[in-house]
Parts: sequence; structure tokens; C-alpha cells
Amino acid sequence: MASSNDRSRFEDSEDEEDFNPAPADLSDEEAGDDDADQQLRSEARGGSSPAPRRDADDDEEGAEEEEDDVRRPAADDDDDDEEEEDDEDEDDVQQGHRRKRRRDKRNAFFDIEAEVDDEDEGEDDEKDGEEIGDFIDNAHIDDMADNNRNDDRRHRELDRRREMESSMDAEKQAEILRQRYGNRRSARGFGDASIVPKRLLLPSVDDPSIWAVRCKEGKEREVIFSIMKRIEERAGTKDELAITAAFERGGNESVMKGFIYVEAQRQTDILKALDSMLNVYPHSKMILVEIKDMPELLRVTKTPSLEPGAWVRLKRPVKHSGDLAQVLDVTENGLEARVRFIPRLDYGVRDDALSVTADGKRKRPFGMSGPKPPQRLFSEVEARKRHPRHIQGNPTTNTWSYMGDEFENGFQVKDVKIQQLVVTDVNPTLEEVTRFASGAEDGTENLDLKALAASLKDSNTLVTYLPGDIIEVYSGEQKGVVGKATSVQGDIVTMSVTEGDLAGQTIEVPIKGLRKRFRVGDHVKVIGGSRFRDEVGMVVKISEDRVTLLTDQTNTEVTVFSKDLREASDIGGQGALGQYELHDLVQLDPTTVGCIVKVDRESLVVLDQFGDTRQVMPSQIANKLPKRKQAVAADRDGSEIRLEDVVKEFTGQQRQGKIIHIHRSYVFLHTNDSKENAGVFVTKASMVNTIAAKGGRVSAASTGPDLNTMNPALKIHKNGAENKPQQPIKMFGRDKAIEQTVIIKKGAYKGLLGIVKDTTDTHARVELHTKSKTVTVPRDSLAFKNRMTGATIDINTRGRGGGGAGRGGGDRVPSWQGGSRTPMASGNSDRVPAWGSRTGGRTPAWKAQDLSGARTPAWADGSRTVNPYDGSRTAYGAGSRTPAWQSGARTPAPGDAFGAGSRTPAYGGGDSWASGSKTPAYGASAPTPGASGNDTWGYTPGATGSSNPYDAPTPGGALLGAPTPGAMNAPTPGAYSAPTPAANAPTPGGGWQGGWGADSAPTPAAGAPTPAASGFAGSGGYYGAPTPAAYGGAPETPAASGPRYADDDDE
Amino acid sequence: MSTSANFVTPGQQRHLRACMRFRDEGCPNCEEFLHLAGSQDQIESCTSQVFEGVITLANPARSWIAKWQRLDGYVGGVYAIKVSGQLPDEIRTTLEEEYRISYIPRDGTETETDS
Repeated sequence: MASSNDRSRFEDSEDEEDFNPAPADLSDEEAGDDDADQQLRSEARGGSSPAPRRDADDDEEGAEEEEDDVRRPAADDDDDDEEEEDDEDEDDVQQGHRRKRRRDKRNAFFDIEAEVDDEDEGEDDEKDGEEIGDFIDNAHIDDMADNNRNDDRRHRELDRRREMESSMDAEKQAEILRQRYGNRRSARGFGDASIVPKRLLLPSVDDPSIWAVRCKEGKEREVIFSIMKRIEERAGTKDELAITAAFERGGNESVMKGFIYVEAQRQTDILKALDSMLNVYPHSKMILVEIKDMPELLRVTKTPSLEPGAWVRLKRPVKHSGDLAQVLDVTENGLEARVRFIPRLDYGVRDDALSVTADGKRKRPFGMSGPKPPQRLFSEVEARKRHPRHIQGNPTTNTWSYMGDEFENGFQVKDVKIQQLVVTDVNPTLEEVTRFASGAEDGTENLDLKALAASLKDSNTLVTYLPGDIIEVYSGEQKGVVGKATSVQGDIVTMSVTEGDLAGQTIEVPIKGLRKRFRVGDHVKVIGGSRFRDEVGMVVKISEDRVTLLTDQTNTEVTVFSKDLREASDIGGQGALGQYELHDLVQLDPTTVGCIVKVDRESLVVLDQFGDTRQVMPSQIANKLPKRKQAVAADRDGSEIRLEDVVKEFTGQQRQGKIIHIHRSYVFLHTNDSKENAGVFVTKASMVNTIAAKGGRVSAASTGPDLNTMNPALKIHKNGAENKPQQPIKMFGRDKAIEQTVIIKKGAYKGLLGIVKDTTDTHARVELHTKSKTVTVPRDSLAFKNRMTGATIDINTRGRGGGGAGRGGGDRVPSWQGGSRTPMASGNSDRVPAWGSRTGGRTPAWKAQDLSGARTPAWADGSRTVNPYDGSRTAYGAGSRTPAWQSGARTPAPGDAFGAGSRTPAYGGGDSWASGSKTPAYGASAPTPGASGNDTWGYTPGATGSSNPYDAPTPGGALLGAPTPGAMNAPTPGAYSAPTPAANAPTPGGGWQGGWGADSAPTPAAGAPTPAASGFAGSGGYYGAPTPAAYGGAPETPAASGPRYADDDDE
Repeated sequence: MSTSANFVTPGQQRHLRACMRFRDEGCPNCEEFLHLAGSQDQIESCTSQVFEGVITLANPARSWIAKWQRLDGYVGGVYAIKVSGQLPDEIRTTLEEEYRISYIPRDGTETETDS
């Protein structure tokens, strides 16, 4: 490049030379010799061009034409010579020559410059001369010509002499120049080499080969210098090393460490050269580097340059090694950076301790030993306290100099060599960065997330993409492309594009231009890079590559970089720290235990037995208490409670929760209703009531096997065993005994009437009617009474499958009142079974009823019993209800109504029921109802009509129908429908809809009767209550109930 | 280091300075442009302590490494492979205008444009 430049310039000047003279010639020819002025002028003009010689020559030609013919060829020769010289110059590639030429020209130029000066004067003269000339002209015209001639000649002579001189000069100068710059040829090499593109320098087979030779790690450079030394030592001797070069590229992170690379023609040269050299092992394995790999060995990659604002880590001073620092400025040559970081000052506290030792020694151990002082912003006050003399600075700018260090705004500022900084993989955590951000004097956050992002991008290598990740290209040509990663190989991610023009295509993208893409609502997990690691949450906001998510566990918003996120399939997030997991019971001290309610990264939040939360480190925990599955406590009622039981606080907030731990008298409960303390709360066992025991266990009562339930006889004659209190049956939910009216059958309070306020499995608290006192009595000494009728009832009688067992107990009966629908349900259920069987299966069921005919009577009870009819009850008790029934049948004053009711026939059927001939009765009743209660039941059949089974219900219908007819019926249905369904929504609802089928299915036989019984009883019970009114003639009730019923049924 | 003392004892190795473009003080390769000899300032601005990889050059004329590293016109000695930092602008300008030498930084930036 340099040479060509040179050349072109040279040619340019030549052109000028050739070009300019022409006009000069012309003017000379024209003007002739007579005008000195003209000549001067032309000379002057020539002066401006670098070729005055020619002009002079031409002038000569023109002027001496006649006078000196011989001279001419000489002049021409001159010219020719010059031209030849020029040609030579042109041909000559030698720089030195050229340089000479340039100097040469320049010299001429300088000379002319001098002339120009003269000319300037000359011009002045000229002007003067013109004036004078005019004058002279006027005076001596002849002389003038002569003068002119003389002048010309002298001029020409002068010119010629100059010409000679100048050419001489040029040669001499060239010589000098050559001497001076002769050694530049090697230097030219730089210029030349820089132009040769690297690809032309690629190694060929003719070049020496390169071998990798093993050497001691860390000693690479030493070895190279040893080689250098040996090369020099042996240079010129017969042992001269035959290798041409060697190099190393060691370094801690280098992949080329442990090797040096030696270039030589033959391998033996290397062996010879490295023989008996320390730290290098040419005899072990020597690897020949392939020619194509050779350039790679010497590849140099740019070290990322530091930008102000970037984050780095310090290596030195030792006290600060690993600390995060921010680059404030970088020197021009990029070797030093001014960084700021948070100082670790102890303000000389430790100096004093060490002051005993000699001064020189004191500093040394200071920096190196002992724990580092914590990072704290510089405090002028503290510094003054200890070293008032060592601090100086300006409070207004908040810059200080203390103990030789500079501090600005609390940060230490220092010029650090780049090699003392860790520039890559800095990975500043948001936490660290925040400390810098909050350092602004006005207290505002000037956290530059962008700079942070830039720093983090350096560490992109840490970003991992997995196939399936949704990624977005954010830089480069394919910016904006969104797709799904299909495979990842090194730094290249293959993605199949899912959006945009490229959709469907597969492209490969370098990892550094990628970021993960999420959508608002995505459930993500923080996988690294920040203190929020392992948090799981939902994305609520996305701004560029910053993603804000709402964590599952703490419901707080955190912002992280998208690269730190990954789609999460699990929820809840971090639930464990070491061996401690959320909800674990831990021992804090010998008397305190706590339940872990929050797991942070390094600490735990524990709710202790007193209801206080405290934050503890894992190390503060004495030990973890294993979950004792057998732990038992007694609740407020003395019932046994175990893990997983659902209990409710008796007082206070009446929170309800599942027991997760029992510790002595404390129970830790968990609820989903509250987020406080992760839903965990603690209370005393004696302050809770059991709501539901796990698995329906009823614990306290059964200390041994329940013989009663094992007694087949009892099972068969369940109902016959009236006097024998049934063993407690399994119950779910609220104890039905509560709020029931009871009469105490045994003990000191025998005969007293009361209301059950609370129960345990074995005992009940009864609020006596007589005196306002609540007494605790064993449950089995209670007889439940119908609140209105006083009839003994069985509270446990239920349609439920399980109901069968408890049915026998007359005590429970009372529950009827409350659960009138229950009966319903049961009523349903018996039928249901029938229904379920559809095939008339119920008939048998009904028959079964016979067995338990008891209820039938109950039924009777129910319906007519009413107050007046003790008999009915009696019947009940006796189990001879059929009669009761009968009596009942008529009993009811409403009996008339009954009678009127189309079901009379049904009733008749009822009788037959006992005999099992109800089917017909049913048939009869079925229609009847149709007739009678068409509104209510009518549809039922309608609905059912299609299905045979429905006929089954018909019976039910019949039953109902019975009521339907009369006003009296009205109530019944009313009672039926309203309370039953409404109150006992579950039972009826389920039952009605066909749950019945299910329900009853199990119990068919047993249940069958019950239903009847219950159904009736239910109605009866109701009867008790409403009936009167109904009786009294509350036709509307029926009406109301009628439709209701219908609804329910419909449903 | 000068050509006469290319060996540096290990203890002194950490004091090595690599010349950014040439070698340091009195460097036979570059002395005439950079005039490093005796000028501490010039050395400061034209040399770098940050370098990586060391080449010992025994035969610059025949070595491919020398050719590849564009060291083939240089004297034998020790050279760095990678040198961080670049010459100050004024010196670069001088080099280019006065000596027609184009400066190739050895800090790794060159590879992107050249090869």
C-alpha cells in the first residue's frame, strides 16, 4: 500500500511536469526572448509547478536557438537523461531510490521556493521595472535588447548551475537518506506484512511442523525462556538448536496448559533441543499438530473490554477478594480500571490488638489473617474516632481520603489493574447489586438493571436451555423470532420456529442471542442467578428480559431475569432446607418445640407451641422431632384425637384445622382457610372439639372388641332389643345427639329431662330442664325423646347404609325430629333398593320390612301417633306395630282424611304390606296417588313412568299419596318435602335422585323396613309438629309442600 | 527485553512487559519508530504488562509461527501471542503517517476483521 501510494504520487508529479511545460514553451516561443518580464513571469509560474527546470531548458532552447546550436543537443541529452532517470525510477521498485527521488523533488521544490521568494521580490522589481522599464525603454531602446540578452544568458547560466547543483544535491541527499534509512527495509516488512491477509499465511506442507510437548503445568513460560536461553547460548555453535520457534499458551483456565508447542522441521530436532531441560517432557507423548489446526493454536480472542458501569469482582486486595465492584472508568489502554466497591474497614480496631508487634510486621498479618471485616459503607464519623489524623476530605462532595484509600459516597474507589479483576462470570446477585444501588446519596434507587443485565450476559454460558424451552431471539438478523428449542449443542440452539414468517422452519441460533420467553400466567421456577432461587410462582409481568412473578409460597412479587427461570411443573417451591421441611416439628430448646411454617434460603420460620413465630437458623434447631403417628391427645370432650383428625377450636377464633402434630398437650393444626404462618396454628388439645376423626374412627369408647357388633343374634334381632342400648355406631360429622331432648334413664339424674349440649363417644352433657344445670351422663343412660311428642326416637336411624346397625336403638329415635328427612331418606332408601332393583325387587325388600315390621308401626306412629297416640308408640316399643299401624291408621283423627285419601287402599295395602302383598297395594296406591296428589306425585310417575323401576317408588308415592289426599296429607307431604329435602338436603337429595338406589342397595332388606318406618315416622314426627296445624286445617301447607316436593323429586 | 538478554529468570517473569506492537526498551524491531530506549513515558504508553502466551523465536525467517504472527522480519527473541491494550492514538497516527506502518493490535480484535 505504501509503495503504491508512493508511486502514484510520484507519477502525479511527473504528469504535472509533462503537462505544465507545454504552455510555458508556447509562451516562450511566442514571446520570444525580447521580454524579460514575460520570462520572469513564466518562470514564476513555473515556480508554482514542480518542474521549473524544463521551463528553463525550454527558455534556453528558445533563447539560444541561433546562438548556440551545439548546446541544444546537450540540453536535449539532459532532458533525455532525466527522462531515462525517471523511467528507471519508475521501474525501480526499490524504496530507497524512490525516497531519494522524493527528496530530490522536494529539494527542487525548496530551491524554487527560494526562487519564488526572489520572484516575489522580482515581481516587485518587475513592477518597479515596468515603470522603470518604460522609462528605460523610452530612453534606450537598443540597449535594452542587449541587456535582455545578457540577462537571459545569465539567467540561464544560473538556472543550469542550479540544475546541476540540485541534481547533485539530490544524489548526495539520496545517499544520506539511504544511509539514514537504509535499515528501514526490514521495517518495511511491517507494512508489507500487515497487508498480506492471514489466509495467505496459512501453513503449508513446506512449513515446519508443530509438536505439542508435555511440560509441567504452570511452568510453561519458564520452559519457553529456558529454550530461549539455550537458543542463544548455542547460537553459532555446532549444537545450534534446529527448532525454529516454540511457544506456550498456559494459564489457569487455558486448555493449552501443560503443553508447550515447538516448531521444527523434524521431531528429532525437538528431542535434541529439549534434552535434559527441566519441567519439559519431550520423551513422553509428543503430539504432532495437524496443519489445519496450526492457526487455531495461535488464535487470539478479544478479551471482553470493560465498560463503565459493568460489574466485576476483585482479586486484590486480598481483603476484598471476591467482592463485587463496579467499574467507574477504564484507562485508555484498557489496562487499569477505576472501580468502586464497599469497603471492609474496621477503622483500626484490630490494629490496636496487633500494635505490639513491630510496625513493619503489623500490616502484613492484618490483611491476611482473621476474618474480613464486614462490608460497610465508609463512615466518616468512625474514621475520625480512631484516626482523626489520617482522614481528610470534603464533606460536601463526600469524598474522603482515609489511610491512603479514597472513598466517595461511602464507597471505596480504587484504580485496579485489569488482571486483578474477575471480568467474566461475575454473576452479581441482585442482593449485592442492591447495596450499590441504595448507596446513592439521595437514597433513591439507581439500580441500573441494564448494566446488570449486561454483566450477566457475559455469563451467558451459565444459561442453560433445554429442549422444549420456549425461546426468543433478541439480537441479530433473526431478532424477534420465537420458537421452541429442539436441541442444544454447545453454544448453538436449534429451534423450531413457532411464530411469524419463519413458522415451521428450524433454525440454529447462537446461545448468546437468545432469551427465554414466558407469558403472563406461566408457572415458573427460579433456577438460579439470584437469591430467589427455587421460588416458584406465576408470571405477572414481563418487561424485556425481566420477569416479575408472584411466588406461590409467600405471595410476594419478585423480579428476576428470564434466563433464571424455567417453566415449573411443581408447585409450592422450596419446601426444604437441609433436613428440615415445611411443617416439620422441631425442638428449639428442651421446653420449646415449633412447627416450621416457612423455609427460606438460609433460615426457617418456626411457629412455637406458644403461638409465636420466630426465625431461626437450621443450626439453632436442636433436632427434628419425628412424626409420631401414634400420638394421641384428648380433646375438650375427652375424645381421642390423633394426627390428621379435623378439630375445631372451642374458643377464640374457632379455627378449624387438621392436626399435623401433637406435642404433649399442644396440637399444631393446619388449615387452608388462612395463609398466616402457612396455615398453621397451634392450640391446646383441650381447647378443641373433634369435628371428624380420620377414617371415621371413634376411638375412646372401644377399648376392646365390640362384642355386641359381633353378636349375630343381636344383629338379627336388632330391633327387638329395644331395651338394650345399641352400641355406639360409627358416626360422621356432628353428633346427632346434640340438641336432642333426652330423658336420663339411669343414675342420680334418672328420670330427668334435658337437652344434650355436647357429647363424647361415651358421655353426654345434658342440660337439665328442671334446674339449670348441665350434667355429664353416660350416653347409654339416655333415652332420646321426640321434643314435641315425647316419643322415644332413634336418632341414629338413617337412610344411610350404616343406619341399619343403629336402627334398633329406640334412644336415638329422637333424632328423628331433627332428622325427619333422614327417615325420609331412609324411607327412600328402602324403596330405593326396590327401585334400584326395579324388577320389583323391592317387593322382597318390603317383605324384609316385615321382619322389621317394627317400623311399619313406627310409621303408624309417625303418622298418627301424634301426641295422643301413645299407643302407637307402644306399638312401636312392642314391635307389634302392625296393630299400631292399624290403630294409627284410624287413630288419626285425620284418619278420616286418611280414609278419604285415596291411599286408604294403600293403607289397606299397608296391612297387606306386612304380608308382603303391597305390591298390589302399590299398584293400587300408585294410581291413587296419581289421582289424589297428582300435582305432587303425579309427575313423579310421569317422570318415572317410562321406567319400570319408578313404579317402585310409586309405593313411596302411595305413602305420600296417603297424605296427599287429605288436608292432613298436606302437612305430611309438607313435612316430608320441606324438612326432609331442605334440611337434609344430602339425604333426600341424594336419595331422591337415585342415590337412593345406591343407598338402599346395600341395605335393602334391613333398610327396607326402616324406610317405611322412617318414612312414616318421619312424616309422623312431623306430623307431630306441623300436623296439628295441618290438622287444624292448613291446606296451604300441602300445597306448598306439594310443589316443593315435586321440585325435589324433579331434581 | 533486549535481544542480548532474552532469558528472564522465573523470579522476574512477573515484571515482564510486552511491547504492544514491538518489544520494549531498545527493542531492535521498533526502536526507530517508538524510541522506547531511555524514555520511561514512551515505554509506559507503548508497552503492556498484560499479555498471554509467549513465543520464543529462534529462526524468524523459516518459522511458520513467525510468519503467522507477522514476526518474520523481526529479530529472534521472545514475543507475546496476545497483548492486551492498544497503542495510544497519537502514536498510531504517527506510525501510519510517518512510517507507513499499519498497526495491528494483538489484543484479539484483529481476528474479527482480518481472518
